[in-house]
Amino acid sequence: MTRAEHHEWTRAGMLRAAAAGGAAATSALVIGVRDGDGASQAAPSREQDNAILNLFLRLEYAQEGFYRQASNSKNLDGDLRTFARTVGPQEAEHAALLRHRLGSDAAPRSDQPDVGNWLTSPRLFRQAAIDLEEAVIAAYIGEAANLTRGALADVAPLVSVEARQVAWLRGLGRTTPAPRAADPARRPQAVLAQLRKLGFLA
Amino acid sequence: MSGPTLQDIDPDEALQGALASLCGTTRAGFLRTATLGGGAMLAALRTPAVARAEVSDLEILNFGLRFERLQAAFYTEAEELGTIATMSAAKQQWAQTLGAHERAHVRIFKKVLGSRAEGRPTFDFGSANATDAAFTRTAVAMEDLTVALLTGLAPIVHDRRLTAALMGLTTVEARHAAWARNIVGSAPAPEAFDRPRTLASVRGAVAQTRFVVKPPKTSSRRRPGFTG
Repeated sequence: MTRAEHHEWTRAGMLRAAAAGGAAATSALVIGVRDGDGASQAAPSREQDNAILNLFLRLEYAQEGFYRQASNSKNLDGDLRTFARTVGPQEAEHAALLRHRLGSDAAPRSDQPDVGNWLTSPRLFRQAAIDLEEAVIAAYIGEAANLTRGALADVAPLVSVEARQVAWLRGLGRTTPAPRAADPARRPQAVLAQLRKLGFLA
Repeated sequence: MSGPTLQDIDPDEALQGALASLCGTTRAGFLRTATLGGGAMLAALRTPAVARAEVSDLEILNFGLRFERLQAAFYTEAEELGTIATMSAAKQQWAQTLGAHERAHVRIFKKVLGSRAEGRPTFDFGSANATDAAFTRTAVAMEDLTVALLTGLAPIVHDRRLTAALMGLTTVEARHAAWARNIVGSAPAPEAFDRPRTLASVRGAVAQTRFVVKPPKTSSRRRPGFTG
Protein backbone atom coordinates (compact mmCIF):
# COMPACT_ATOMS: atom_id res chain seq x y z
CA MET A 1 0.00 0.00 0.00
CA THR A 2 1.39 3.40 -0.93
CA ARG A 3 1.44 6.21 1.57
CA ALA A 4 -1.27 8.01 -0.40
CA GLU A 5 -3.46 4.90 -0.48
CA HIS A 6 -2.88 4.35 3.19
CA HIS A 7 -3.89 7.91 3.97
CA GLU A 8 -6.96 7.57 1.81
CA TRP A 9 -8.33 4.43 3.37
CA THR A 10 -7.91 5.64 6.92
CA ARG A 11 -9.49 8.98 6.16
CA ALA A 12 -12.27 7.38 4.13
CA GLY A 13 -12.88 4.96 6.96
CA MET A 14 -13.15 7.75 9.48
CA LEU A 15 -15.60 9.64 7.31
CA ARG A 16 -17.64 6.48 6.81
CA ALA A 17 -17.67 6.01 10.55
CA ALA A 18 -18.87 9.58 10.99
CA ALA A 19 -21.60 9.20 8.41
CA ALA A 20 -22.82 5.80 9.47
CA GLY A 21 -22.23 6.10 13.19
CA GLY A 22 -24.84 8.29 14.75
CA ALA A 23 -23.71 6.92 18.08
CA ALA A 24 -22.22 9.45 20.43
CA ALA A 25 -19.05 7.45 20.67
CA THR A 26 -18.34 7.57 16.98
CA SER A 27 -19.14 11.26 16.82
CA ALA A 28 -16.82 11.99 19.69
CA LEU A 29 -14.08 9.98 18.08
CA VAL A 30 -14.40 11.75 14.80
CA ILE A 31 -14.30 15.16 16.46
CA GLY A 32 -10.74 14.27 17.28
CA VAL A 33 -9.85 13.83 13.64
CA ARG A 34 -11.89 16.58 12.00
CA ASP A 35 -9.84 19.22 10.29
CA GLY A 36 -9.40 22.31 12.41
CA ASP A 37 -10.49 20.72 15.68
CA GLY A 38 -7.57 19.86 17.86
CA ALA A 39 -5.31 18.21 15.33
CA SER A 40 -3.89 20.83 13.01
CA GLN A 41 -2.43 20.00 9.64
CA ALA A 42 1.08 21.29 10.31
CA ALA A 43 3.68 18.56 10.10
CA PRO A 44 5.18 17.66 13.47
CA SER A 45 8.56 19.24 14.12
CA ARG A 46 10.86 19.98 17.00
CA GLU A 47 9.67 23.58 17.08
CA GLN A 48 6.05 22.50 17.16
CA ASP A 49 6.85 19.95 19.87
CA ASN A 50 8.33 22.70 22.01
CA ALA A 51 5.29 24.93 21.63
CA ILE A 52 2.88 22.10 22.49
CA LEU A 53 4.96 20.72 25.35
CA ASN A 54 5.17 24.19 26.86
CA LEU A 55 1.38 24.39 26.68
CA PHE A 56 1.17 21.05 28.49
CA LEU A 57 3.72 22.23 31.02
CA ARG A 58 1.57 25.22 31.77
CA LEU A 59 -1.44 22.96 32.34
CA GLU A 60 0.53 20.65 34.61
CA TYR A 61 1.75 23.61 36.66
CA ALA A 62 -1.84 24.80 37.05
CA GLN A 63 -2.92 21.39 38.29
CA GLU A 64 0.04 20.92 40.61
CA GLY A 65 -0.45 24.35 42.14
CA PHE A 66 -4.14 23.75 42.68
CA TYR A 67 -3.66 20.39 44.37
CA ARG A 68 -0.80 21.72 46.48
CA GLN A 69 -3.08 24.40 47.86
CA ALA A 70 -5.86 21.83 48.26
CA SER A 71 -3.59 19.48 50.19
CA ASN A 72 -3.24 22.06 52.94
CA SER A 73 -6.85 23.23 52.96
CA LYS A 74 -8.73 22.82 56.22
CA ASN A 75 -11.95 22.46 54.24
CA LEU A 76 -10.96 19.16 52.69
CA ASP A 77 -10.53 15.86 54.43
CA GLY A 78 -10.97 12.15 53.92
CA ASP A 79 -11.03 10.91 50.34
CA LEU A 80 -10.72 14.35 48.75
CA ARG A 81 -7.63 15.19 50.74
CA THR A 82 -6.15 11.80 49.86
CA PHE A 83 -6.92 12.52 46.23
CA ALA A 84 -5.25 15.94 46.31
CA ARG A 85 -2.20 14.60 48.13
CA THR A 86 -1.84 11.72 45.69
CA VAL A 87 -2.49 13.56 42.48
CA GLY A 88 -0.53 16.71 43.27
CA PRO A 89 2.85 14.94 43.32
CA GLN A 90 1.88 13.06 40.15
CA GLU A 91 1.28 16.38 38.38
CA ALA A 92 4.68 17.51 39.64
CA GLU A 93 6.22 14.41 38.05
CA HIS A 94 4.43 15.16 34.80
CA ALA A 95 5.80 18.70 34.85
CA ALA A 96 9.28 17.37 35.58
CA LEU A 97 9.14 15.05 32.60
CA LEU A 98 7.99 17.87 30.32
CA ARG A 99 10.73 20.17 31.63
CA HIS A 100 13.28 17.44 31.05
CA ARG A 101 12.04 16.91 27.52
CA LEU A 102 12.07 20.65 26.78
CA GLY A 103 15.45 21.30 28.34
CA SER A 104 16.48 24.90 27.89
CA ASP A 105 13.34 25.54 25.82
CA ALA A 106 11.10 25.06 28.87
CA ALA A 107 9.14 28.22 29.64
CA PRO A 108 9.57 29.57 33.16
CA ARG A 109 6.78 28.93 35.64
CA SER A 110 4.54 31.92 36.10
CA ASP A 111 2.96 32.93 39.38
CA GLN A 112 0.14 30.67 40.48
CA PRO A 113 -3.19 32.47 40.84
CA ASP A 114 -4.96 32.18 44.18
CA VAL A 115 -7.51 29.41 43.78
CA GLY A 116 -8.73 29.56 47.35
CA ASN A 117 -12.29 30.25 46.21
CA TRP A 118 -12.45 26.66 44.95
CA LEU A 119 -11.32 25.34 48.30
CA THR A 120 -14.10 26.69 50.47
CA SER A 121 -16.11 23.47 50.31
CA PRO A 122 -15.61 19.86 49.19
CA ARG A 123 -18.31 20.26 46.55
CA LEU A 124 -16.65 23.30 44.97
CA PHE A 125 -13.24 21.67 45.01
CA ARG A 126 -14.51 18.50 43.40
CA GLN A 127 -16.36 20.30 40.63
CA ALA A 128 -13.45 22.65 39.91
CA ALA A 129 -10.99 19.75 39.83
CA ILE A 130 -13.21 17.78 37.46
CA ASP A 131 -13.50 20.81 35.14
CA LEU A 132 -9.74 21.28 35.28
CA GLU A 133 -8.90 17.62 34.62
CA GLU A 134 -11.43 17.25 31.80
CA ALA A 135 -10.10 20.38 30.09
CA VAL A 136 -6.52 19.19 30.37
CA ILE A 137 -7.38 15.75 28.96
CA ALA A 138 -9.19 17.32 25.99
CA ALA A 139 -6.18 19.54 25.29
CA TYR A 140 -3.81 16.57 25.37
CA ILE A 141 -6.03 14.64 22.95
CA GLY A 142 -6.38 17.66 20.69
CA GLU A 143 -2.67 18.23 20.39
CA ALA A 144 -1.42 14.64 20.47
CA ALA A 145 -1.47 14.26 16.70
CA ASN A 146 0.63 17.39 16.29
CA LEU A 147 3.55 15.94 18.23
CA THR A 148 6.41 13.97 16.78
CA ARG A 149 6.33 10.28 17.62
CA GLY A 150 9.11 10.62 20.16
CA ALA A 151 7.35 13.39 22.03
CA LEU A 152 4.02 11.56 21.98
CA ALA A 153 5.69 8.40 23.30
CA ASP A 154 6.78 10.46 26.31
CA VAL A 155 3.41 12.12 26.79
CA ALA A 156 0.94 9.25 26.22
CA PRO A 157 1.71 7.45 29.52
CA LEU A 158 0.87 10.58 31.48
CA VAL A 159 -2.30 11.41 29.54
CA SER A 160 -3.80 8.09 30.57
CA VAL A 161 -2.97 8.88 34.18
CA GLU A 162 -4.81 12.19 33.87
CA ALA A 163 -7.83 10.16 32.78
CA ARG A 164 -7.39 7.80 35.74
CA GLN A 165 -7.33 10.81 38.05
CA VAL A 166 -10.56 12.32 36.78
CA ALA A 167 -12.29 8.94 36.89
CA TRP A 168 -11.26 8.60 40.52
CA LEU A 169 -12.53 12.07 41.31
CA ARG A 170 -15.82 11.55 39.50
CA GLY A 171 -16.34 8.37 41.46
CA LEU A 172 -15.86 10.24 44.74
CA GLY A 173 -18.71 12.54 43.68
CA ARG A 174 -20.88 9.59 42.74
CA THR A 175 -20.93 10.59 39.10
CA THR A 176 -20.01 8.09 36.44
CA PRO A 177 -16.22 7.90 36.03
CA ALA A 178 -16.50 7.20 32.29
CA PRO A 179 -19.41 9.23 30.89
CA ARG A 180 -18.72 8.50 27.21
CA ALA A 181 -17.19 5.81 25.04
CA ALA A 182 -14.65 8.15 23.45
CA ASP A 183 -13.22 11.36 24.87
CA PRO A 184 -13.34 14.46 22.65
CA ALA A 185 -10.48 16.71 21.62
CA ARG A 186 -10.50 20.47 22.19
CA ARG A 187 -8.53 23.34 20.74
CA PRO A 188 -5.85 24.66 23.09
CA GLN A 189 -7.21 28.19 22.81
CA ALA A 190 -10.60 27.05 24.09
CA VAL A 191 -9.02 25.18 26.98
CA LEU A 192 -6.82 28.11 27.97
CA ALA A 193 -9.80 30.47 27.86
CA GLN A 194 -11.82 28.17 30.09
CA LEU A 195 -9.03 27.80 32.62
CA ARG A 196 -8.47 31.55 32.74
CA LYS A 197 -12.17 32.03 33.36
CA LEU A 198 -12.06 29.50 36.19
CA GLY A 199 -9.06 31.28 37.67
CA PHE A 200 -6.50 28.50 37.19
CA LEU A 201 -4.40 30.58 34.80
CA ALA A 202 -3.48 34.24 34.96
CA MET B 1 -7.49 -7.14 48.83
CA SER B 2 -4.23 -6.72 47.01
CA GLY B 3 -4.42 -4.92 43.70
CA PRO B 4 -4.50 -7.13 40.62
CA THR B 5 -1.76 -6.29 38.20
CA LEU B 6 -0.88 -7.03 34.64
CA GLN B 7 1.38 -9.75 35.97
CA ASP B 8 -1.74 -11.71 36.90
CA ILE B 9 -2.29 -12.47 33.25
CA ASP B 10 1.22 -11.99 32.02
CA PRO B 11 3.72 -14.51 33.34
CA ASP B 12 7.30 -13.40 32.82
CA GLU B 13 7.90 -15.80 29.99
CA ALA B 14 5.38 -14.14 27.68
CA LEU B 15 6.69 -10.63 28.12
CA GLN B 16 10.29 -11.69 28.11
CA GLY B 17 9.80 -13.75 24.97
CA ALA B 18 8.10 -10.92 23.13
CA LEU B 19 10.68 -8.41 24.23
CA ALA B 20 13.53 -10.71 23.34
CA SER B 21 12.21 -10.98 19.80
CA LEU B 22 11.77 -7.22 19.54
CA CYS B 23 14.68 -5.88 21.52
CA GLY B 24 17.20 -8.66 21.69
CA THR B 25 18.00 -10.86 24.64
CA THR B 26 20.31 -8.38 26.34
CA ARG B 27 17.59 -5.83 26.80
CA ALA B 28 15.04 -8.48 27.74
CA GLY B 29 17.45 -9.73 30.36
CA PHE B 30 17.87 -6.23 31.67
CA LEU B 31 14.12 -5.91 32.09
CA ARG B 32 14.04 -8.97 34.31
CA THR B 33 16.14 -7.14 36.84
CA ALA B 34 14.81 -3.61 36.33
CA THR B 35 12.81 -2.15 39.18
CA LEU B 36 9.14 -2.56 38.39
CA GLY B 37 7.75 0.82 37.40
CA GLY B 38 11.11 2.50 37.62
CA GLY B 39 12.26 5.04 35.08
CA ALA B 40 14.71 2.61 33.54
CA MET B 41 12.00 0.05 32.95
CA LEU B 42 9.68 2.63 31.44
CA ALA B 43 12.38 3.70 29.05
CA ALA B 44 13.22 0.13 28.13
CA LEU B 45 9.61 -0.81 27.48
CA ARG B 46 9.19 1.96 24.94
CA THR B 47 8.69 0.55 21.48
CA PRO B 48 12.02 0.24 19.72
CA ALA B 49 12.44 2.15 16.46
CA VAL B 50 12.82 -1.02 14.42
CA ALA B 51 9.53 -2.41 15.68
CA ARG B 52 7.75 0.88 14.99
CA ALA B 53 8.70 0.75 11.36
CA GLU B 54 7.44 -2.80 10.99
CA VAL B 55 3.92 -2.33 12.32
CA SER B 56 1.41 -0.94 9.84
CA ASP B 57 -1.68 1.05 10.76
CA LEU B 58 -3.78 -1.77 9.36
CA GLU B 59 -2.12 -4.23 11.72
CA ILE B 60 -2.56 -1.86 14.64
CA LEU B 61 -6.22 -1.26 13.90
CA ASN B 62 -6.98 -4.92 13.42
CA PHE B 63 -5.26 -5.82 16.66
CA GLY B 64 -7.23 -3.03 18.33
CA LEU B 65 -10.41 -4.52 16.91
CA ARG B 66 -9.45 -8.00 18.09
CA PHE B 67 -8.70 -6.74 21.57
CA GLU B 68 -11.91 -4.70 21.81
CA ARG B 69 -13.86 -7.74 20.62
CA LEU B 70 -12.24 -9.78 23.37
CA GLN B 71 -13.32 -7.27 25.97
CA ALA B 72 -16.81 -6.79 24.54
CA ALA B 73 -17.38 -10.55 24.41
CA PHE B 74 -16.14 -10.90 27.98
CA TYR B 75 -18.64 -8.35 29.32
CA THR B 76 -21.51 -9.44 27.08
CA GLU B 77 -21.11 -13.08 28.07
CA ALA B 78 -21.01 -12.12 31.75
CA GLU B 79 -24.36 -10.40 31.29
CA GLU B 80 -25.79 -13.41 29.47
CA LEU B 81 -24.52 -15.80 32.13
CA GLY B 82 -26.22 -13.73 34.81
CA THR B 83 -22.95 -13.00 36.58
CA ILE B 84 -23.48 -9.26 36.50
CA ALA B 85 -27.01 -9.63 37.86
CA THR B 86 -25.56 -11.10 41.06
CA MET B 87 -23.48 -8.00 41.77
CA SER B 88 -24.26 -4.96 43.87
CA ALA B 89 -25.98 -2.06 42.10
CA ALA B 90 -22.75 -0.06 41.91
CA LYS B 91 -20.85 -2.96 40.39
CA GLN B 92 -23.65 -3.65 37.95
CA GLN B 93 -23.46 -0.07 36.72
CA TRP B 94 -19.70 -0.41 36.34
CA ALA B 95 -19.84 -3.71 34.46
CA GLN B 96 -22.71 -2.68 32.22
CA THR B 97 -21.13 0.67 31.35
CA LEU B 98 -17.81 -0.92 30.47
CA GLY B 99 -19.56 -3.55 28.36
CA ALA B 100 -21.48 -0.88 26.45
CA HIS B 101 -18.30 1.12 25.86
CA GLU B 102 -16.33 -1.87 24.63
CA ARG B 103 -19.11 -2.79 22.22
CA ALA B 104 -19.07 0.83 20.97
CA HIS B 105 -15.31 0.59 20.50
CA VAL B 106 -15.77 -2.56 18.40
CA ARG B 107 -18.24 -0.69 16.19
CA ILE B 108 -15.79 2.17 15.81
CA PHE B 109 -12.90 -0.05 14.77
CA LYS B 110 -15.11 -2.01 12.37
CA LYS B 111 -16.38 1.14 10.71
CA VAL B 112 -12.92 2.60 10.39
CA LEU B 113 -11.52 -0.61 8.95
CA GLY B 114 -14.47 -1.31 6.66
CA SER B 115 -13.78 -4.31 4.44
CA ARG B 116 -10.27 -4.60 5.87
CA ALA B 117 -11.60 -5.66 9.27
CA GLU B 118 -10.52 -9.16 10.22
CA GLY B 119 -13.14 -11.74 11.13
CA ARG B 120 -14.37 -12.25 14.66
CA PRO B 121 -12.26 -14.70 16.66
CA THR B 122 -13.79 -17.41 18.83
CA PHE B 123 -13.53 -16.82 22.55
CA ASP B 124 -13.69 -19.18 25.49
CA PHE B 125 -13.44 -17.44 28.83
CA GLY B 126 -13.79 -20.62 30.86
CA SER B 127 -14.80 -19.62 34.37
CA ALA B 128 -13.20 -16.16 34.17
CA ASN B 129 -16.57 -14.42 33.93
CA ALA B 130 -18.71 -17.02 35.67
CA THR B 131 -18.51 -15.59 39.17
CA ASP B 132 -18.41 -12.07 40.59
CA ALA B 133 -14.91 -12.55 42.00
CA ALA B 134 -13.42 -14.11 38.87
CA PHE B 135 -15.09 -11.58 36.60
CA THR B 136 -13.88 -8.63 38.66
CA ARG B 137 -10.33 -9.90 38.93
CA THR B 138 -10.10 -10.49 35.19
CA ALA B 139 -11.80 -7.22 34.26
CA VAL B 140 -9.40 -5.16 36.37
CA ALA B 141 -6.36 -6.81 34.81
CA MET B 142 -7.84 -6.55 31.32
CA GLU B 143 -8.55 -2.82 31.62
CA ASP B 144 -5.03 -2.10 32.85
CA LEU B 145 -3.69 -4.14 29.95
CA THR B 146 -5.77 -2.14 27.48
CA VAL B 147 -4.31 1.11 28.79
CA ALA B 148 -0.81 -0.32 28.41
CA LEU B 149 -1.61 -1.41 24.87
CA LEU B 150 -3.10 1.88 23.70
CA THR B 151 -0.45 4.09 25.28
CA GLY B 152 2.06 1.98 23.38
CA LEU B 153 0.17 2.02 20.08
CA ALA B 154 -0.99 5.63 19.82
CA PRO B 155 2.53 7.02 19.29
CA ILE B 156 3.39 4.53 16.53
CA VAL B 157 0.47 4.91 14.15
CA HIS B 158 1.43 6.58 10.90
CA ASP B 159 -1.78 8.45 10.18
CA ARG B 160 -2.06 11.40 12.53
CA ARG B 161 -5.84 11.37 12.42
CA LEU B 162 -5.72 7.92 13.89
CA THR B 163 -3.41 9.20 16.61
CA ALA B 164 -6.03 11.65 17.86
CA ALA B 165 -8.72 9.00 17.62
CA LEU B 166 -6.69 6.42 19.55
CA MET B 167 -5.87 8.93 22.26
CA GLY B 168 -9.60 9.55 22.70
CA LEU B 169 -10.07 5.84 23.30
CA THR B 170 -6.98 5.53 25.48
CA THR B 171 -8.31 8.02 28.02
CA VAL B 172 -11.63 6.19 28.21
CA GLU B 173 -9.88 2.87 28.79
CA ALA B 174 -7.85 4.57 31.51
CA ARG B 175 -11.08 5.75 33.12
CA HIS B 176 -12.33 2.17 32.97
CA ALA B 177 -9.14 0.94 34.62
CA ALA B 178 -9.37 3.50 37.41
CA TRP B 179 -13.04 2.71 37.97
CA ALA B 180 -12.29 -1.00 38.08
CA ARG B 181 -9.47 -0.51 40.55
CA ASN B 182 -11.68 1.65 42.74
CA ILE B 183 -14.31 -1.10 42.75
CA VAL B 184 -11.84 -3.56 44.25
CA GLY B 185 -10.31 -1.05 46.67
CA SER B 186 -7.04 -0.55 44.79
CA ALA B 187 -5.48 2.82 44.03
CA PRO B 188 -7.16 4.14 40.86
CA ALA B 189 -4.07 6.07 39.81
CA PRO B 190 -1.19 4.26 41.48
CA GLU B 191 1.63 5.90 39.56
CA ALA B 192 2.36 9.14 37.72
CA PHE B 193 2.91 7.28 34.45
CA ASP B 194 1.29 4.25 32.90
CA ARG B 195 3.53 1.62 31.39
CA PRO B 196 3.19 1.37 27.62
CA ARG B 197 3.52 -2.04 26.06
CA THR B 198 4.26 -3.18 22.57
CA LEU B 199 1.73 -4.90 20.40
CA ALA B 200 3.85 -8.04 20.52
CA SER B 201 3.95 -8.14 24.31
CA VAL B 202 0.18 -7.66 24.59
CA ARG B 203 -0.29 -10.40 22.02
CA GLY B 204 1.78 -12.62 24.27
CA ALA B 205 -0.27 -11.70 27.31
CA VAL B 206 -3.54 -12.40 25.50
CA ALA B 207 -2.19 -15.74 24.30
CA GLN B 208 -1.38 -16.68 27.89
CA THR B 209 -5.01 -16.21 28.89
CA ARG B 210 -6.13 -18.76 26.27
CA PHE B 211 -9.31 -16.75 25.83
CA VAL B 212 -8.90 -16.85 22.04
CA VAL B 213 -9.50 -20.38 20.79
CA LYS B 214 -9.85 -22.21 17.52
CA PRO B 215 -13.40 -22.17 16.17
CA PRO B 216 -15.31 -25.40 16.79
CA LYS B 217 -15.25 -27.85 13.89
CA THR B 218 -18.65 -28.49 12.38
CA SER B 219 -17.69 -30.40 9.24
CA SER B 220 -17.13 -33.87 10.68
CA ARG B 221 -18.98 -36.65 8.88
CA ARG B 222 -18.61 -39.05 11.76
CA ARG B 223 -21.52 -39.70 14.02
CA PRO B 224 -20.91 -38.58 17.57
CA GLY B 225 -19.94 -41.44 19.82
CA PHE B 226 -22.18 -40.25 22.60
CA THR B 227 -25.31 -38.22 22.16
CA GLY B 228 -26.45 -38.07 25.77
